[in-house]
Amino acid sequence: MLEAYAQNLVYGILVGALYGLTAVGLSLVFGVTKFLNVSHGEFLMFGGYASFWLFNLWKVDPFLSLPAAIVFLLAIGALFYKLLFGRMVKLAEGVKIQNTLLIGFGLSLILQNLALRFWTADTRSITTFYSGAVFAFAGVRFPLVRVASMVIALVVIVALQLFLRRTYTGKALRATVENWEAATLMGIDIQRVYLLSFVMGAALAGVAGALVSVGYTIDPAMGMGWTLKSLVVMVLGGLGSITGTFIGGLVLGITESVTGLALGFTYREVVGLVLFILVLIFRPQGLFGTKEG
Amino acid sequence: MNRIQIVVVLLLIAILLAVPMAIKSESTINLAVYVLLFVSLASSWNILGGLSGQTNLGHAAFFGAGTLVTRTLWLSGWNIFPSLLAGGLVAVALALLVGIPAFRLRGVYFAIGTLALSQILYITVGNTLPMISSLPAQDLAVYQLAPRYYLFLGVALLTIGAGYVLVNSRLGLGIMAVREEEDAAESLGVSALKHKLLALSISAFFGGLAGGGFAFYHVGYYPQLTFGPEWTFDSMMMAYIGGVGTIVGPIIGAVFFVILRELLALNLAEFHVIVFGTLFILVVLFLPDGMIGVLEKVRKAFARR
Amino acid sequence: MLKIEAIDAYYGDLQALWGISMQVNEGELVALVGPNGAGKTTTLRVITGLLKPASGSIYLDNHHLGKESAHKIVELGISMVPEGGKIFTAMSVLENLELGAFVAEARKVKDQTLKWVFEIFPRLSERKDQRAGTLSGGERQMLAIGRALMSKPKLLLLDEPSFGLAPILVEQMFEMIKEINRQAVTVLLVEQNVRAALELAQRAYVIENGRIVGQGTGDDLISFESVRSAYLG
Repeated sequence: MLEAYAQNLVYGILVGALYGLTAVGLSLVFGVTKFLNVSHGEFLMFGGYASFWLFNLWKVDPFLSLPAAIVFLLAIGALFYKLLFGRMVKLAEGVKIQNTLLIGFGLSLILQNLALRFWTADTRSITTFYSGAVFAFAGVRFPLVRVASMVIALVVIVALQLFLRRTYTGKALRATVENWEAATLMGIDIQRVYLLSFVMGAALAGVAGALVSVGYTIDPAMGMGWTLKSLVVMVLGGLGSITGTFIGGLVLGITESVTGLALGFTYREVVGLVLFILVLIFRPQGLFGTKEG
Repeated sequence: MNRIQIVVVLLLIAILLAVPMAIKSESTINLAVYVLLFVSLASSWNILGGLSGQTNLGHAAFFGAGTLVTRTLWLSGWNIFPSLLAGGLVAVALALLVGIPAFRLRGVYFAIGTLALSQILYITVGNTLPMISSLPAQDLAVYQLAPRYYLFLGVALLTIGAGYVLVNSRLGLGIMAVREEEDAAESLGVSALKHKLLALSISAFFGGLAGGGFAFYHVGYYPQLTFGPEWTFDSMMMAYIGGVGTIVGPIIGAVFFVILRELLALNLAEFHVIVFGTLFILVVLFLPDGMIGVLEKVRKAFARR
Repeated sequence: MLKIEAIDAYYGDLQALWGISMQVNEGELVALVGPNGAGKTTTLRVITGLLKPASGSIYLDNHHLGKESAHKIVELGISMVPEGGKIFTAMSVLENLELGAFVAEARKVKDQTLKWVFEIFPRLSERKDQRAGTLSGGERQMLAIGRALMSKPKLLLLDEPSFGLAPILVEQMFEMIKEINRQAVTVLLVEQNVRAALELAQRAYVIENGRIVGQGTGDDLISFESVRSAYLG
């Protein structure tokens, strides 16, 4: 019995890393632009399919094609920013959040549908020669692919942190999060900062999606579920903290996995909702929130 | 409302009441049923999303809960009316589950909470009730369309009526004040929390009633279906295209939606989501007051001449 | 250096400025004084590009600022210390100052400028790695001014730098502003503390209800009857 829990704990951590990565992308966008892009999950889905088709059509290893997924999502992010989200930059914060929610929601349904038409509803996954590789330790199995995915997620997060803390552009982003007018007074071009953070958010989702396609499965309707998990993780971890959000992802992953074992698979998803409501009631700023979200 | 408007409304209601007696084509009545269903959904969403200004991304949760509860009770022997009521009340309970913790915080938490609620119910119901829910043979034998039509008509009229009464009441004034400028309203003694919860409850209740109607109407369907995000999206979209925040807007939006859907079904079946999605986005970006807004502008342009 | 001609500005449908005309010459310390709500901050927002005027023009060294966006105007050499300083509390003192030198030209000479700012505000040097949120009110203002100086501005705008400071700090603040001006930075100072501002400035404008109602040298205005009674009690 203990072994089963330990195994689920591990699985929870491994998938939680991806929850965290995706949530960080969404959090980055929201923190800087105050856009809540609920089509974030669809960006993840596209990342997954990009990786999948590169593998299926041209045999490109999914880990090697990560840069391609990144570039693809940077482009898609830029496209939708220019087309849609960029138009809402000047709005007052309340209206901005509301409108981006609505547009993001509409966009997500459109993108889901497009994916459905082009790629069918079939669930897909990438199977490489090393997909079955597992290393076992103390009776617990560690699927190699998923471990590698977690490592990559960590690397990306660390790289992001370095970017935000050490580079001028990164600091400009952080300044914009805190006070965009003051940032403008420094000579920072807010339009560019918004665009940058939006496409970066999309790219982070794309990486997560590519990792999901090889370690798990993808399908056209997966987006909304991932968006939701990102939102719950964002609230759980606390807006304004990247590390906090990542840890929030791990927490969600572990809680889901362990609860799934205890209460059965059918009620796994309810965990997320329960956690969300608990956080709202007892600690609205999240576990690591720096200020009122 | 002035005399003329009252007469027009009564006339319309009379016409609507006469439909099943005058029209014999079942497919037309089915279409009418769907229009009434969507009018209820759009109007109920509008009470929270438009009048109260709280973005609700999980209206499907209320619709679905109403369907599930009503169907279960009705098929186990309850009369349809208490089943409907129960459905509406359960929807309210779910709404408050999210609303009470979320409304104390910024609006974004409520939106996330409702999205979470509907998605999670969608998946969990899909997991626990994967089989189709079918009307048993004896009910099928006595199935009549007219009662369904009248039920939906009643729900639609009640929903619109509730919206209308709300807008013209002190309570409604408070709700709209909270929408416009929450802090200012609070400082005038208007409890933002109470008003938001009230709008939420009314919206959820009628969403649940619409769901109950769906359960009464459909012979067979998958229980998971009514929790799907398309229901939320369609409600939002109809309210926006017609004119969010107005009473008539959602009605116009619903009629427009059903008509356009019928036309498209003839040519572009599955493109419906893409077409409506794009339309919705365009409206939010460029015509936030919807068709009512456009009509207003036209009216004003003529008035100036 | 800065010439403002007949500026009208609105907040939505509400007019806030009527025909504002002002001038600041190189090396001067000019004050803009007036009561609360007179339009002082609004004028500064128009100069920095945060608020677009409905009519009128602004020239910086004969370059028409027109529709330039706010961040462009910083590049052109105007830097503002907004009301309350608006420092980035989540970042360190040093990071705040570094951000002040964001503009490409300023970034090149960042290290020299930093030394200069630390000379004027030695307290900031002591606290350079501290989170800006832990600074006291006076220190925050110093940081805000230091940060604005990091962009090596031709023209420094100060919006009520003494606001909320203890009296002894106010004196120090004005001393530092005088010193900054002495070091060849042109300053436009907006203040509610009329006497101090008028004593500091070579010239001043008086604004009331969105209109310029008086101008002259600091001394002239102090002795001007209506200014005395209205503001100096």
